[in-house]
Amino acid sequence: MNDDEQSVGSAPVGAPPTNRMVVAVLALGGFFVALYLFAHNLGLGGPIVCGVGDCATVQSSQYATIGPVPVSFVGVLGYVVLLALAFVGLRPDHRESRMIGGLLLVGSLGGGLFSAYLTYLEAFVIHAWCQYCVISAIIITLIFFASIPEVARLKARSS
Amino acid sequence: MSRSEERRKAREQGGSDMTKFYVILAVVAVVGIGAVGYSIGSTALGAAATEPIEVEGLDDQDMLVEMAQGVTKGDEDAPITIIEFGDYACPGCGGFAMSVKPQVELLLVETGKAKFVFYDFPLTSIHPTSFLAARSARCAQDQDKFWEYHDALFRNQTSWRLEASPIAQFLAFGEDLGLEGDDFEACVKSDRHADVVSANMRLGYELRVSSTPTIMVQGNGEFLMLPGATFPAIQAAIAQIEESAPADAGGAN
Repeated sequence: MNDDEQSVGSAPVGAPPTNRMVVAVLALGGFFVALYLFAHNLGLGGPIVCGVGDCATVQSSQYATIGPVPVSFVGVLGYVVLLALAFVGLRPDHRESRMIGGLLLVGSLGGGLFSAYLTYLEAFVIHAWCQYCVISAIIITLIFFASIPEVARLKARSS
Repeated sequence: MSRSEERRKAREQGGSDMTKFYVILAVVAVVGIGAVGYSIGSTALGAAATEPIEVEGLDDQDMLVEMAQGVTKGDEDAPITIIEFGDYACPGCGGFAMSVKPQVELLLVETGKAKFVFYDFPLTSIHPTSFLAARSARCAQDQDKFWEYHDALFRNQTSWRLEASPIAQFLAFGEDLGLEGDDFEACVKSDRHADVVSANMRLGYELRVSSTPTIMVQGNGEFLMLPGATFPAIQAAIAQIEESAPADAGGAN
């Protein structure tokens, strides 16, 4: 019996976990923010708009890519994964899934730490702020907070 | 309440929550697709060249000098040439255009003492729209409105320099100046003049231009790169060149 089958068991199917809905909505929003930056990286959006800060400086810095891969693409992928996890976790047979909960926690924590590192670079190394990166950092932080109830779900299933 | 009823109620509640969730998700998706689509669509520069291009032959100094073309204001035969390597998105160049250039024009160019030559030097790494601005000014030059357009770009610099795609503003400046709309728009949205702007940039690099505005004063065989873009510095350079002239002339005789 796999993890998901365990989570369903014979208990009545409860309401879908609200926190996973929140994660899905936030991840979708974050996906579009990252997609905008990635479109810029691909040259589709022209020079970036910056009402506050200086995205052009951030986006043209050496920290805007990891090897040949734009950081924004990492963001796009990350948000897609979180969105997919949240969606799967909302299916009736996965609503109590420990695996989904654990992945959401790890994914949002990893994304949050990576985002914190990027924010540190903006503040202390590049000395320029890109508001889209800041919005993304806020979104991933909120996703992490929205994933915290998964800890209780993990503990409940463990006990 | 029986277990089956609890289950039914939970399913109904869950179904209602999921419906709300899908509605919210759909709203976020529509807004997101709209925002990204609009930003890409509205800022898409199409075929408009916004970056320097590779121009063959610029390694050859003679070819470079031929390809690079400054725009001259004043008497071509004036004894002194004041050269600016400028970037339309550079605030320093904006300050020079608004405060120093008018003095240069009034006291030096209009008196026939000097001519003023502007070379494009868009610092594209920090000013992503400046290459497009330089090309747009060259498009205005096609209709003999370079200097009017040049001044409009600097005068309105704060309105466009941080825009993702200032094409709309650039076209509006042209319209204000009475430029033929279709020709001007087609030019701005193409790669026309990208070669000249790129050649000017290359010439600037060859002359060790590293910042904008960089001012040079030339005359009587002297070529001075000024430490500052101020009117007193230009006057001092001209004085230095003029002082050297009689001696040179005497030597030649």
